[in-house]
Formats: sequence, structure tokens, C-alpha cells
Amino acid sequence: MLRIRGLVHHYPRQPQPALAGIDLDVPGEGVFGLLGPNGAGKTTLISILAGLLDADAGGIDIDGESLAAYRRRHPAAIALVPQEHAFYPMLTVTENLRFFAGVLGLGRTEARARVAAASAATQLEGVAGQRAETLSGGLRRRLNLAIGLLGAPRLLLLDEPTVGVDPQSRAFLLDTIRGLAGDGRTVIYTSHYMDEVEALCSRVAIIDHGRVLAADTLAGLLHDDAGRLALRLAQPLPAALAARLAAQHPALHTHGCEVLLPALEPAALPALLTELAAAGCPAQAVDYGRQNLETLFMRLTRRSLRD
Amino acid sequence: MTRLLALWRKETIALLRDRHGLAALFLMPMIFILVMSLALRDAFDVGAASDLGYAIVDLDHSAASARYAEGLRRLLTFRDTGMLADEAAARAALADGRIGFALVLPAGFGAAQPDGAAPREARPALRLLVDPVVPQALQTAFRLHTEAELGRFQAEALLQRLGRTLMIPELQALDPATLALPVEVLAARGSGRDPLAALPSSVQQSVPAWLIFSMFFVVIPLSAVFIAERQHGTLQRLASQQLPYALVLAGKLLPFFVVNQVQAVLMVLVGLYLVPLAGGEALVLPAGTDALAALWLVSAAVSAAAVCWALLIASLARTVEQATVIGGVGNILMGAVGGIMVPAFFMPAFMQQLAQLSPMAWALEGFHRVLLQHGGSAQAIGPAAALLCFALAALGAALILNLRSRPR
Repeated sequence: MLRIRGLVHHYPRQPQPALAGIDLDVPGEGVFGLLGPNGAGKTTLISILAGLLDADAGGIDIDGESLAAYRRRHPAAIALVPQEHAFYPMLTVTENLRFFAGVLGLGRTEARARVAAASAATQLEGVAGQRAETLSGGLRRRLNLAIGLLGAPRLLLLDEPTVGVDPQSRAFLLDTIRGLAGDGRTVIYTSHYMDEVEALCSRVAIIDHGRVLAADTLAGLLHDDAGRLALRLAQPLPAALAARLAAQHPALHTHGCEVLLPALEPAALPALLTELAAAGCPAQAVDYGRQNLETLFMRLTRRSLRD
Repeated sequence: MTRLLALWRKETIALLRDRHGLAALFLMPMIFILVMSLALRDAFDVGAASDLGYAIVDLDHSAASARYAEGLRRLLTFRDTGMLADEAAARAALADGRIGFALVLPAGFGAAQPDGAAPREARPALRLLVDPVVPQALQTAFRLHTEAELGRFQAEALLQRLGRTLMIPELQALDPATLALPVEVLAARGSGRDPLAALPSSVQQSVPAWLIFSMFFVVIPLSAVFIAERQHGTLQRLASQQLPYALVLAGKLLPFFVVNQVQAVLMVLVGLYLVPLAGGEALVLPAGTDALAALWLVSAAVSAAAVCWALLIASLARTVEQATVIGGVGNILMGAVGGIMVPAFFMPAFMQQLAQLSPMAWALEGFHRVLLQHGGSAQAIGPAAALLCFALAALGAALILNLRSRPR
């Protein structure tokens, strides 16, 4: 659906470009995770997609059409849900939804239907008459999302939509977003919560310093050919067994009940698990041939602080 | 049109729920008009009795001094507190603040008159004791009244003396007051209509002054919403929905223009009905279509200036607190300099020149031309044009500021 090539954006009076040649392909359906540390260029990219900024170089095509032409032909097809609570606190939930439906130019009947649909999708019917300023953090996030759904967009840009909400609201928002990704809709999702991205996104791109460091399906990104093994045991390894295993696997690393082997042949895995069970340390969790997203993220973006 | 209606509806709801903004826009000017119209009622009424008291001390105890005191009492518009026994009692009354003036008629007053027995060189002075806090203009007015009555009184005595000496009975019976030519005080009207109308009342001054002041206070509710939109990313969201920036501005300008016009109607109604109920004069509106059109022209121009000024403040300020301080203090300064709080004709010459820098002074001039001088559109067009130029300049500056800082 979305094809980004050589995208560059340089803010005035900044030494480094915010985007230094982004190449990215986003398929036509599903949730696409956009990860990066603060200042990596995520918001700039989202802003260009939302039409708030112009690229200095490069281009974006949607279904083979330039972004500008696509936005002209389909004014409501791309919707931004910003990180801030971008609505009017003194207006009620319904008044906010009606206002933004009006701004989209929807007629009265259509607006009413869209407001009802967006309220239902985010389960806001119970607080329809409540002023936005009195809503809880979770309800505000839901209203923020509901406003983004009013135009029935094909491309939904979600900028950290779960910041500051309780676990229940977060789970509800994630379920809602997962549901939105069907029906031919693409969701571009930025977040700092790796577990959310792993649970939600079918494809992920990690960007930093305005460049794409990695972009693939989630499985593709996390796949590890070297045979990385991470175990959580019922109890720490006995000293004798630990010494014997360390002799066999010099890169073995243990920390309490956690055991990490950077590389292990697939054929050796059953024997190792059997040996551990026999020693009274059966594996309670096994993660083999797969990286952890957070580990990958930290490895790619380095560990240095950005703020 | 759907988009513009949505924007207008949103601004209207936001304003109706802003209690502080509503109070600043409607309650504050109503109170000011009521209070200032009543407080300044006498200052604008040439014939009104002043509440400032006076007493007369007659040390002469003669028929002449009694006649003079009686004549003076009929002339003075200050509050008569009666006679006092001596000068010490008068000084005590002045020190207590019971009276503002005490006129001491000296011993020998009657004998010193043209028909009296005293030699010409024996001329005792009348003594006017004054509370120093009484304004100079009122002191002068009181002194002129005593001198005028003294002149009339002495002329009458002189005529009587001449009549007796020359044996002409008509001269003895002649009262110089009957020969005095009356002086009428009239308002000079621009259009020449209703030339015999009396001078305008204080409400005629207060309604336009405090209406202008309150119109400029749209800065408070307008900037509150505008800055919140900027801070919360709502303007960005609207831009991402491809809402043209001109529509965002139009969505703000028109509702507040309407608010200003509602303010104008309400304040006129206060002047027409509420001030008289409280004991003040009623506002007098000019008659005729042209005068009413001129009134609306000035009102519309003030509104354009006020709304665009508010937009500029909202664009300059980063926070609502900043907007409240810059807008509120700016309005008070414009009002103080522009003759809203103190009429410009009370100011010294250099302050009157400074007043011309304030758009509120231009607005006041426009309203005065219509309400006080009964001018029409031709007379109102000058101040209205100046206000519209100010509005355009403020709008232009606001646009530049917003387009520079706003993501496209």
C-alpha cells in the first residue's frame, strides 16, 4: 500500500536531518510497528504521512499514487491520532465527535452514523454526555482514538496511543486496534512498549538517526539463525552441572534460574533439556531460535540515552 | 459550509461554558455602566445640585447681609446646610467634612454697600473658607457664584440709592436681575438636528466607553481556546484533516464578532432601561436610519479591531496565563490612555495627544460622533476606517506569527 523511498527532512537550524533517506514498504493491511528511540525521526515521518510536514527529498506513494494526490482525492483516507489529547475538554464526548465529523465535511446523517460507529468501536456510549475534561486517562485515550476513526480511514497513524492508561484500558485499546487492522485498513503504530508491538504488529521497522535500521515481519526480525537459547529453570543449576555445561558451551551465561546460550545446534536441544530435568532443574520456559524484540532494539539503537 | 458551522458551534459552546469569559464580556461592563453613570451623573448635569454642602456665617447681622445670603442661596446649586454662628464653627464643620465651603459675611458688610453708611475706604472682605480636597473647578464655581450675586446685589443697592437721590421711583424699584440676559448651555450637534436638546448625560458617556472596553475583552475567551488548541495538538489534528487555516480563523472571528454585537445591544439596553431604574438618566439613541447605520458601523469596526487584536494576543502568548496578563493589562492601558476610564477632556494636552494612539480612543471618538454629536455615516467613517486598518494590521501580524510556527 505505502511505498516510501529516499525520504529526507531537515528542520531549520538543526545540525542533523530528522530523516536521512528513509526507505520503507508498508503492506495494505495489518498493524505496522514503527520503533525508535526519542528523536529517531518517528514523529517526523508520521507528520509527513499526515500532511503536516513536507519532505525535502524522496517520495511517498500510496497504491501507486503520490501521497499529495492521494490525500487530495481521499481527504479522509489518512487519519492521525496524536499522542496528545487533541480534542476540546469543555465539550462532551458526543459534541467532540460531532465537531470533528463536521470538520471532515460529513453530512448530518452520515456524521450521526459515523459518530455512533466510532463511539461503539471504542465503547464510549456510556459517557457520551460527559465533558471530556472529566474523563479518566483511559477514556480520554479512547476518545482520541474514536475521533481518528470518524473518517473511516484506510491508513490510521497512531502515535503512542496507550501512554498513561491503566492495564485494562490498555488491553481494550490494543484489542480495538487489532480489530481495526482488518477490513483492508493499515495501522501504523508507534510505541515505546515492546510487548505491545510484539503482541500487535505483523511487521516492524526500527529507525534511528533518521534511517531504517531494520524492517521486516515480526517473525523475520526476531528469527535467529545462530540458535540462541534462553531458559528459565525451576531452580538454579547445581554447581557441578553448571561447571560441566560451561565446559561444553564456553559462552554459557547463567543468572539465578535464567540460562542463556548464544548458539546451540537444534539437534543438541533435546539432550540438554533431558539432562537438566534429570538433574532436578527442569526448564519452565524455553525460547529457542528467536530474539527478544527489546534485545534486538537495544542492540540496533545502542544503549546510549537520547534525552 | 458544514465545516464552518461545526467550527462556529464549537466556539459557541466553548464560550457558553466559560463562566469567567462570560462575566468579563457581559457582567463587568453592565456593572461599570451602571456604577459610572450614577457616579458621574452630576458631573455631566449643569443644573444638578451638588451634594457638596456649604454654610454661611453672617457676622454683620444686618438686613443687607440677610438679603444677600438669601439671594445667594437661590443661586447656588450646592447643598445648603444653613447658617453658622461664627468662623470657628465654620472651620470645625469644614474639618469634619460636613461642608465643602463656608462663606463668611464680615461685620460691616451692610454698611459697605453703595447705599450703606460706611466711608468708601472701609471695605471689609468676604471670606470663603474651602475644604482643600474640593476640586479647583468647584472652588472657582462657588467663588464666581458669590461674586455674581454680590455684583447683582450691589447694582440693586446702587440703583436704589440713585433713585432716592434723583427722586426717580422707577430706579428704586428696578431689579438688575430682570435685566440680565439668560445664557443657555446647549450641546453642539454635528448634524444640526434637535439643536435645542440639552447636554448629554453621564450614561451617554459611560455606555460607549465601557462597551468598547468590554468588546476588547474577547481576548480572554478567544485566547483560552486558541492556546489550548495549540498546546493539545488539536490544531495539528485539524490540519491533518485538511482544514484550511483560513477556515480555522473564520471559525473564530465570526462567533466573537457576533458576541461583540450582542454586547452592544445589551449595553444599550442597560443604558436605556437599567440605569434609569437605578436613578440615572436614560440613554438617548440618535434617530434616523443613517444615524443607526453609523452606530452599527462604529460597533462593527470596534468589533473587528477587538477580535483581530485578541487573535494577535492569542498568537503571541504561549500560555493562557500569558494571554490573560498581556491581553488584560493591554486593554487596561489602552482604556486608561484612550479616555475610557478618565474622559480625555479631563487630561492635560500632552495626554490628550497620547490618547490618540489608543484604538479605544478612536472607537470612543466614533461613538461620540454618533451618540453625542448626532453625526451620521459620513462622520463615523473616519474613526471606523482607522479601527478597520488596526484590525487588518493585527490580523496580518497574527497570520504571520501562526504560519511561521504552524506545521503545514
